[in-house]
Amino acid sequence: MSEQIVIVGFGPVAARLIDELLPAVRDGHVRLTVVGEEAEAAYNRVLVADLGVGRTTADALALSDAAALIADGVDVRLGVKVRRVDRARQQVVLTDGTTVHYERLVFATGSRPVIPNLTGINPDPASPVLPAGVTALRDLRDASVLRAAVDGGKRVVVLGGGVLGLETALAAAEEGATVTVVHNGPHPLGRNIDRGGGAVLAAGLRRCGVRMAGNARSTGVEHNAPDGGFSALLLADGSAIDGDLLVLSCGVRPRTELAEGCGLSTGTGILVDHRLRAHHEPHIFAIGDCAEVRCPDPGCNECRTAKGPSGLVGPGWRQAEWLAEYLTLLATGTQDEADALAELPQEQAGVIVLKARGMNMAVAGDNAADPWDEEALTAGAVHGRPRLQIAQWADPEHGRYVKMTTRGGVLEGLVAVGMPRTAAELVGLFERGAELPADRSLLLRLDGPDQLASSGPADPAGTVCRCAGVSGAKIQGAVEGGCSTVADVSKATRAGTGCGGCHEDIKGMIEKHFQAAPAA
Amino acid sequence: MTKSADTHCPYCALQCAMTLTSPAGLAPASKPGPVPVAAGTAVLETFESPLPEAPLNVQGRDFPTNRGGLCRKGWTSATLLNHPGRVTEPLLKGADGIHRPIGWDQALALVTTAVKDTQARYGRDAVGVFGGGGLTNEKAYMLGKFARLALGTSRIDYNGRFCMSSAAAAGMRAFGLDRGLPFPLTDLDTASTILMLGSNVAETMPPFVQHLKGARDAGGLIVVDPRRSATANFTADGGGLHLQPLPGTDLTLLLGLSHVVIHENLVDAGFIAARTTGYDAVVRSVNAFWPERVQSITGVPAELVRETARRLADGARKGGSYILTGRGVEQHVDGTDTATAAINLSLLLGLPGSSRSGYGTLTGQGNGQGGREHGQKADQLPGYRKITDPAARAHVAGVWGVPEETIPGPGLPAVQLLKSLGQPDGVRCLFVHASNIAVASPDANAVIAGLRSLDFLVVCDFFMSETAAEADLILPVLQWAEEEGTLTNLEGRVLRRRRAIQPPAGARSELWIMARLAEALDAPSTYSEDPETVFEELRLASAGGLADYSGIHYAMLDRGEAAYWPYPAGSTGTPRLFLDTFAHPDGKAVLTAVTPRRRRTPAANPDPAAKTMTLITGRLLEHYQSGAQTRRVSELLATQPEAKVQMHPAAATAMGITEGAFVSVANERGEVLCRAELSTAIRPETVFLPFHFPELESANRLTEAATDPVSGMPEFKFNKVWVRAAARTERQHSVLQTTEAS
Repeated sequence: MSEQIVIVGFGPVAARLIDELLPAVRDGHVRLTVVGEEAEAAYNRVLVADLGVGRTTADALALSDAAALIADGVDVRLGVKVRRVDRARQQVVLTDGTTVHYERLVFATGSRPVIPNLTGINPDPASPVLPAGVTALRDLRDASVLRAAVDGGKRVVVLGGGVLGLETALAAAEEGATVTVVHNGPHPLGRNIDRGGGAVLAAGLRRCGVRMAGNARSTGVEHNAPDGGFSALLLADGSAIDGDLLVLSCGVRPRTELAEGCGLSTGTGILVDHRLRAHHEPHIFAIGDCAEVRCPDPGCNECRTAKGPSGLVGPGWRQAEWLAEYLTLLATGTQDEADALAELPQEQAGVIVLKARGMNMAVAGDNAADPWDEEALTAGAVHGRPRLQIAQWADPEHGRYVKMTTRGGVLEGLVAVGMPRTAAELVGLFERGAELPADRSLLLRLDGPDQLASSGPADPAGTVCRCAGVSGAKIQGAVEGGCSTVADVSKATRAGTGCGGCHEDIKGMIEKHFQAAPAA
Repeated sequence: MTKSADTHCPYCALQCAMTLTSPAGLAPASKPGPVPVAAGTAVLETFESPLPEAPLNVQGRDFPTNRGGLCRKGWTSATLLNHPGRVTEPLLKGADGIHRPIGWDQALALVTTAVKDTQARYGRDAVGVFGGGGLTNEKAYMLGKFARLALGTSRIDYNGRFCMSSAAAAGMRAFGLDRGLPFPLTDLDTASTILMLGSNVAETMPPFVQHLKGARDAGGLIVVDPRRSATANFTADGGGLHLQPLPGTDLTLLLGLSHVVIHENLVDAGFIAARTTGYDAVVRSVNAFWPERVQSITGVPAELVRETARRLADGARKGGSYILTGRGVEQHVDGTDTATAAINLSLLLGLPGSSRSGYGTLTGQGNGQGGREHGQKADQLPGYRKITDPAARAHVAGVWGVPEETIPGPGLPAVQLLKSLGQPDGVRCLFVHASNIAVASPDANAVIAGLRSLDFLVVCDFFMSETAAEADLILPVLQWAEEEGTLTNLEGRVLRRRRAIQPPAGARSELWIMARLAEALDAPSTYSEDPETVFEELRLASAGGLADYSGIHYAMLDRGEAAYWPYPAGSTGTPRLFLDTFAHPDGKAVLTAVTPRRRRTPAANPDPAAKTMTLITGRLLEHYQSGAQTRRVSELLATQPEAKVQMHPAAATAMGITEGAFVSVANERGEVLCRAELSTAIRPETVFLPFHFPELESANRLTEAATDPVSGMPEFKFNKVWVRAAARTERQHSVLQTTEAS
């Protein structure tokens, strides 16, 4: 038995799915076709901004090697799009006129940047044509546009205070560009972060040389550059922010039009159930940015609280791994055998970790409530459910801020700015749903300079030499007995005969003793 | 008439040089031990104190590896020679479960009959052999030959499977050859950066720490350990960095380090082009592991990931950079891939094959290196040859003087071998040498059940270890100071072990035992009981293999020459491997793309009072392996008399556990009941148990027998456990039950 699987889209999530399906392809259980509209096989979109500032190379971004996949028997179609899906005949029709039959079809079409409604920019959302000097920083070509601006020390205007915009701004500023971030609201990251964290974050960005233009509503772009390209971003208050390159970083939107075109249900993304199957269509699946897990069962508790696609790659990769296992089981066994596979657990709310060299920040979950905000803290505390608790640490002078929002000791939200070890620990606790230590200050101390110096509980026996198990008292006795060198002490007590780490201590005891003795 | 002998420590792979002097001359070391001994008694024998004075004086001896240093284990090692609990006569278990002394003739006849009967009824593979990494090269070699020719069984493997197999498999895959350190240890002295992953040398081999001083002074010691171990503490005060990842995430951390090396253009491109293959696939495979994502998975801050990668690259351009791995990262179901990721990182930086940088794995057991080269492994023949390779078989058959088809094919790796005990088509009669599998194996409860289901169990040991206590027949053997032979240390340097004292009258060398049994079983080929004669044969058998010893002689070792294998006849040996070429046919090192796999979901915690935590295991300075020896040294036992579970005060407080209180650590495989030791040196969601203790303190009753698909290594270092406060009475109750059951 051998099943034909077609994957639409060849981004990072599709690449992971292909890698996981390869054993079944090699065994002949699966015949696999992948259709990608870009000329390149999958590359790591997360690092496009790094590429744009010259911190990495296009070669290093590769996630798949088309030639290697072809050698493994995968049918790889690059630089071509799917025109439509013919569900009745179970085939996809490509823009080059060919058709491919499928038993299973996987949408991994990802998302496209949101293009804001600004005068001077073509607002057609399906196929935006951006004017010269304006980029959405999504693919390798966009990266080269940014690269030219950074290398030339140009002025870069970033529109949008989301995490991708901030990362681009920081990286470009560090590499020599003059960067302004334009965002609405009083601080960047909008509702993902609270007021205190946002303020410390903004101050940190300024310290890194990024100009911040907050509470700004942009209305249009001006094209007065010598080549007719972008020259300024116009704001609603009548002011303008001059620049040579405008980077649009206003979020992404799932690419669902192909799915809609063949009659599949869509919400924000293509609607799939807990097995990543399109509603009422056992042959079609969707994963990654284009998929929205919301099952058709109106009574499903999980789906009542589910949010749309996260726009993060981690959940997409986990979906790809799970779906590969499921599809392999379908190809090698029965539907029942495949359905015995445990469903993919619901994703936690996304964690945002700022990818930057000069700054450290992590946020996750809901951080809206404040410590004294009784109403917000008790709002969900019914039927014995504990109330929210907030622990907070603010040190704006040193760019540090931490907020832990917990319920029953488990994090529901976190903000950590300028405290890398604390951030790493909190993110781990959040993702595992693990209980925090009752003494929350333990987590704040992780970034203290005293961390490594202390070596656990003090040894009551006063052992100086751990290797040979010799106490300070015994060494002192040997010194008093006349041992005047480390070698003498070692010979008499075995102290210092292992790792040698206590030689300085022994030396100190010898010096102390003989200095104290009256000169002969 | 003082007799002295220059030899090496009986314990770990550092093989510290020591001099033994015997004021009493060559008198027998021991009086007969206390017999009869009740079988199944896991409680240590108690003796009137004080124990007799050790019959030998131990002095550290200057040598490049230990520079005269010894740890407490070495200093006190001679007290075991005349320990009153020593087994000095063959002991046969009676129908009442009591072991009683018998003569050697009767003992050997019993073994011969058991082997013949078992094989007549169930076939040759129904007899199995379990060896150990503590055996000398001569004994390890002879054990492999004895199993294949005298017993005619393929079922031989050893405890190194629990130790070095992942690093060995990764080394073979990358370099085409596996020698723990492919360079002399003293090369580390001048390094600027040393990255140590999953190794706590400050406890496991303290004199090793001397070689880290240069890197510490340069601020370049980087230790990766979920605990702030004694070794991690050496990174304090500007000594370097401590990265404290969540258990089970080492592979991800290593992929993140390689990611930074590639994306920050720190790759040694000339080296990659000239001396490696597989680069592009590794670039693709690490692409998904950018530092912030690695931080989310491992808990190691992104900036520390970058910093570590940069220091390694920087060190390579200065005094040198080394990457060293230990069991902490290797003893996992993905241990081979993790070691491979460490090797990939070293190759990206161009470290291996240089005289001032490199990758190495720190071998654990005394002869863990030599013991994995000469045929104790299920798939291997002497000289690190593959048992499936026709040319290798022909060569060894020639040396042994037997037709090639006499040599059985590959057997089962250790975990599978132990799982087969007493099973249909499994092993029904087992020989155990230099190994305490009842304590040291994963899922130890299941192993003990397996031992009890055997038709006949022969254990060679000098103490009533927990495994010997299960034996039908115990054969008393020699201790290190009573025998001649060679061992190969963690550097691949062959060392001489020398006799300083006469053994007790009733004890015999394994070589003697195998020679007698081979005779009784009418085995083909020859079985000398003289170590040097056996070594001469080993030389020939290893000639032309990867681990070629053919140019090494006892005389040369006795002159103090430094002999590093491969040492083909006519050469001067190989202190540094790979300087010109790697051991694959094309001379290149192979980069293999690896990626973390999804792990099996552990069983659900059935106890609402218990908290699910992660168990990691390791050593204490005072003890070695299963503790069969060190728990009998009163000075060591006095310092560490029992297993204590280390946990973070924050976690303990939440469960009402105080310092010294009893704790139950359990999962679907078993339960440990022991006292708590509270320490901020461990992560709050993790607990640590030393694995040196038996019975209710036996950490391996909790570890899983799932194995690495490549190396057969079990999952020792990442197990889910359910932790709760326990009452002291629970322990008394359990002890009582165990005693009644036995």
